[in-house]
Amino acid sequence: MAEPILEIENLHISFFTKAGEIPAVMDFSCKVMPGEAMGLVGESGCGKSTVALGIMRDMGNRGKITKGTIKFMGRDMGEMSDEELRDIRGNKIAMIYQEPMASLNPAMKIGPQLMEVPILHEGVSRDEAYTRSRDMLASVRLPDPDRIMGSYPHQLSGGQQQRVVIAMALLSKPALLLLDEPTTALDVTVEAGIVELVKDLGKEFGTSMLFISHNLGLILETCDKITVMYSGEAVETGSVSDVFDRMRHPYTQGLFRSIPLPGADKNSRPLIAIPGQLPLPHQRPFGCNFGPRCLHFVKGVCDAREIPMQDVAGHENHRSRCERFEEINWSAMPDGIKVNEPVTPGKTVLQMENVKKYYSVSANEIFGGAHPRTVKANETITFNARESETVAIVGESGCGKSTLAKMLLGLETATDGTIKLDGKEIQKTAIEDRDTKTISSIQMVFQNPFDTLNPSHSVGSQIMRTLEMFKIGNNDDERRQTMLELLDMVKLPRAFATRMPRQLSGGQKQRIGVARAFAGRPRVVVADEPVSALDVSVQAAVTELLMDIQRESKTTMLFISHDLSVVRYIADRVVVMYLGHIVEQGTTDAIFSPPYHPYTEALLSAIPIADTSVEKKHIVLEGDIPSAMNPPPGCPFQTRCRWKGRVPGKLCETEVPPMVDLGDDHSIKCHLSADVLKEMEAVITFHGKDKETKAGKSGKPAKAAKSSAVAKANQEAPVALAAMGSAKPAAAKPAKSVKSKKAATAPAAKVSPAKAPVTKKDADANRPAAVKKPSKPDDLKLISGVGPKLEGVLNGLGIFTFAQVASWKKAEREWVDNYLRFKGRIERDDWVKQAKALAKGGEAEYIKVFGKKPR
Amino acid sequence: MENLGFFGVVFGIVARLWPVWIGLVLVYLLVWAYKPRLGLFGQLFNGWIGTVGVSICLFWVFAAMFADIIAPFGTRTQIAIMKNAVPGSVEADSAMAFLLGGDHLARDVFSRVMYGCRVVLLIAPAATMIAFIVGITLGLPAGYFGGKIDAALSFLANLVLAFPVILLFYLLVTPGIMETWPPYIMGGSLFLVPIIFFSVMFYTRFASAPRKLAIYLTATIAIGLWAWLNLMSSDLFIEKLNSVGLGWFGSMLQWSPFNMFGIETNELNIFVAVVFASSPGVFRIVRGLVLDVKTRDYIAAAQTRGESPWYIMLWETLPNARGPLIVDACLRIGYTTILLGTLGFFGLGMGPESPDWGTMIKDGSQTAQLRLYYWQGVAPAIALMSLVLGLNLLADTLREESLRD
Repeated sequence: MAEPILEIENLHISFFTKAGEIPAVMDFSCKVMPGEAMGLVGESGCGKSTVALGIMRDMGNRGKITKGTIKFMGRDMGEMSDEELRDIRGNKIAMIYQEPMASLNPAMKIGPQLMEVPILHEGVSRDEAYTRSRDMLASVRLPDPDRIMGSYPHQLSGGQQQRVVIAMALLSKPALLLLDEPTTALDVTVEAGIVELVKDLGKEFGTSMLFISHNLGLILETCDKITVMYSGEAVETGSVSDVFDRMRHPYTQGLFRSIPLPGADKNSRPLIAIPGQLPLPHQRPFGCNFGPRCLHFVKGVCDAREIPMQDVAGHENHRSRCERFEEINWSAMPDGIKVNEPVTPGKTVLQMENVKKYYSVSANEIFGGAHPRTVKANETITFNARESETVAIVGESGCGKSTLAKMLLGLETATDGTIKLDGKEIQKTAIEDRDTKTISSIQMVFQNPFDTLNPSHSVGSQIMRTLEMFKIGNNDDERRQTMLELLDMVKLPRAFATRMPRQLSGGQKQRIGVARAFAGRPRVVVADEPVSALDVSVQAAVTELLMDIQRESKTTMLFISHDLSVVRYIADRVVVMYLGHIVEQGTTDAIFSPPYHPYTEALLSAIPIADTSVEKKHIVLEGDIPSAMNPPPGCPFQTRCRWKGRVPGKLCETEVPPMVDLGDDHSIKCHLSADVLKEMEAVITFHGKDKETKAGKSGKPAKAAKSSAVAKANQEAPVALAAMGSAKPAAAKPAKSVKSKKAATAPAAKVSPAKAPVTKKDADANRPAAVKKPSKPDDLKLISGVGPKLEGVLNGLGIFTFAQVASWKKAEREWVDNYLRFKGRIERDDWVKQAKALAKGGEAEYIKVFGKKPR
Repeated sequence: MENLGFFGVVFGIVARLWPVWIGLVLVYLLVWAYKPRLGLFGQLFNGWIGTVGVSICLFWVFAAMFADIIAPFGTRTQIAIMKNAVPGSVEADSAMAFLLGGDHLARDVFSRVMYGCRVVLLIAPAATMIAFIVGITLGLPAGYFGGKIDAALSFLANLVLAFPVILLFYLLVTPGIMETWPPYIMGGSLFLVPIIFFSVMFYTRFASAPRKLAIYLTATIAIGLWAWLNLMSSDLFIEKLNSVGLGWFGSMLQWSPFNMFGIETNELNIFVAVVFASSPGVFRIVRGLVLDVKTRDYIAAAQTRGESPWYIMLWETLPNARGPLIVDACLRIGYTTILLGTLGFFGLGMGPESPDWGTMIKDGSQTAQLRLYYWQGVAPAIALMSLVLGLNLLADTLREESLRD
């Protein structure tokens, strides 16, 4: 293709501090072509954000590019004047940060903030700027753009804010978009929506993207190419399919082995953590930076020289910074993986029955409001947990899982219902009234490793204080001994007893947190996302440690999480919560296979899985989680449910569904009839290793397969809606209603795909005819709505001329629409009419028909 | 009369300050030798702002310590001929110069500035510390419990803040009031707060180890009570006690172990005034910090292991709020120094002969004095300004250094 949008060569960035020069990025090279998405993965501190800042040339007064060049659209940015750089920033290159609220001015309404961009960069009139901003909000699929234009940032939810930030970045029509962990601060189902948006944007606007993330699954979903970074260096780069399926660097492999992919199992195939930890910038070893943690390290080879990036023979554009990648057997598992016997759960330890927790919120603390409002944080929570069993509680923010934990620990008392610990009722005893035994039998591992230890006290003294409170040991010497044994248990050196928390890494702090929770030999440990804030390679180690200790001490663990891949790996049973209700519970296998609760289905589809052999059904929930202050009537999930149409009448909106027992300890809180539930298909399916060969060539067939699955999902929804006849479309979102109308009128796609899965052949029946590449292909980009990237996709389908597009029949249009996952944009933009005009008389005819020049 | 001239004066002052210079050089040498081991104090010397700030503060500390050596004359030594003398005038009998001139009562301004620093450096930090302990004791529960306690305490703090401070000072220092009970009751209870504070602190920490608890509590209460009785043993108070038939208490206060150091009634009033003016501010800072810290997981961890609220407030929350509090303390010592000056300026607070800077500025700023004998007011004003500047620079550096790691 044409010249790359961004070309980085041998980039070195250093920060200059009082302690001297600290190299943050070393010898980094990459190339981003027009319309391409490049993923940048690595753990915290590996320099991935520094690369992005380097591209923006925004490194503060301490950072400096010491070597190498960054070329943007063929021009060296190092030679540009400050004025030119300013012009490029925010105009040609836009950046989207992790925290949306930090990118928006809280004192300005959304409208003026957005309008500033075209006014500033292009000098357009206010009216023009307003229309453009409004249209852009609509195209990032925000409902009711006019209302949003007039609201302040704090009036929007996190997901909406991030969409506004993306809209703002796109308003200047950038050629390159830098996304720095754009979804990390968001919930999974909201994240899925943003990811879908970002993917489509690439197609729609032809924007190149540099997508920075620590989540391999996200990269797989959004990017074409990937660069893995470790300790300031790129260690492996290549197409996504190459790096995911045929990695050639031990660090990349280590990363994949330490995340819970669908194949992993806590007993037979446990996670393998990368030993050791990331070296500090001034302690990097000579030679391979990964050497000290690498299983394949050979003295004299790996530390003989600074290792350059080397081409992997036989793979296109695949490079690795490993000296020995040709000698290593990449499919061999490392020695010494221990296989554990599955544990059999014992008698019931914890019983919760119809537990409710209501908070009353009054407007005024002293005088009280006229109408105190009630927040129903937990509603009729019923479940049991048995000895040495792991029960996962899954849900997004605001689902009431933290309130549940607080009630167990006695920080809150239940409004109604019973909680029994070993047969003893504890729901009404607050922590100060509990005896030492009860307190020490329910303990907690906290989420944030940087917050879990008090920074003012030494590690040892904090554990000893816990022992003292639990009345373990008669004097300080005995307690010190127990404390040292606890440090052994969590595999930390005894010398750590005198350390202060700030001298420990995140993973080490979390281990201390585990030691503290298990100090009083608890019966139940509540683990509140204990690894979600840790780096991938450390996560595996802490997860394994937690499970080992649990196995030995036969403790019951309540594992709170929003990450279903970790849950599938660690849990024996799963409880899914939404807006204070338990919507589904059952054994892990039952939860992860159909029938699902509609919410579980969406949640499963939303988790990014870093495995190319996994095929996911694509379900994106509309809208946001309702506020617990103002929950919807009837079923809590009805506002976002895509199955609502299958329930007769207005049952979902009026009545809270009962818990339906489906046998095998599996129950669902849903009005759907048993027949409908049977129709549900698995969200996640494997298609084995045939992927390996298919993906080999260019990655395109893999994509086609994925998008056909999506097409399936998209067709399903309209059918569901059509079936309910008079009932109005669920969320009344514009995009959705358009779709349902079309489904009702469209004569073609009416085979009920929900029942009989469409085979690939059927799906391809309407594929437009392809031709060989003519000597002079038309410039499809002239059609408004087709960018360079889309042109590439169309060319891939064998479409090169306006005449071809002009001849598309309705079914063909729909096929392409689905293929590109456009949700009817081809229709709306009237590609066919445009193409007809262009085919007939080129630009002149286009101007005649549309009254403006093609772009 | 003989005069030393400008350079003579400068040289004379530098020479008289020799103990200060030796002290400063010693400190620099020690810091230079042991810097890595000094932690935050060593880091203060990293930049020039910190070095200047610490140096100015240390300058005044040493000046206060060695005032007897530095000052050529006493604070009340009057040599009639030197009335309103020009700086550098040499007194014939002793052949010593009035380096910064003489005041309207013919006393040496330089000596009085040096002795005045002693008063300022004793009262300002002590009063600030008591204000801090009061503010912390009220701010912790307000932030931690929230709700009605917070509403009530915040209301009280706002009430005090809204009360015109000058009026409060006049009320406190009016002779008529000094003969009534309220100042003593207020002072007495303010001085009790630190004892209660430290007792609760040790009680919560060692509740499960009775022997340690006994040792710590006995020590705290013994030392605390001894200091309290000493502070309260002013003559006016004892007289008042005798007049209401509490003679036994009065004679106990006169007993020598309890009469080693006392503060006069007007100094007691200054304490009360400073605590009133400062503690609502401290209260607000502490409350805000607690609101932040209490959301941390380690607080939840302490709660889940069954700690009492006061343990969590004093041992888990307070140490993590120390950074901003130390910075604020530095600034507030500066404010208190100015406040002492203000009080002195209004003729409140210290007695008329007291050499404190506020009183000196007041005496030196009568219209005629300021026009003709400007040095009488300018010298203490510069001293006050430099101390406050030093404290501000120190606070700035502390803030920066504590943010660094």
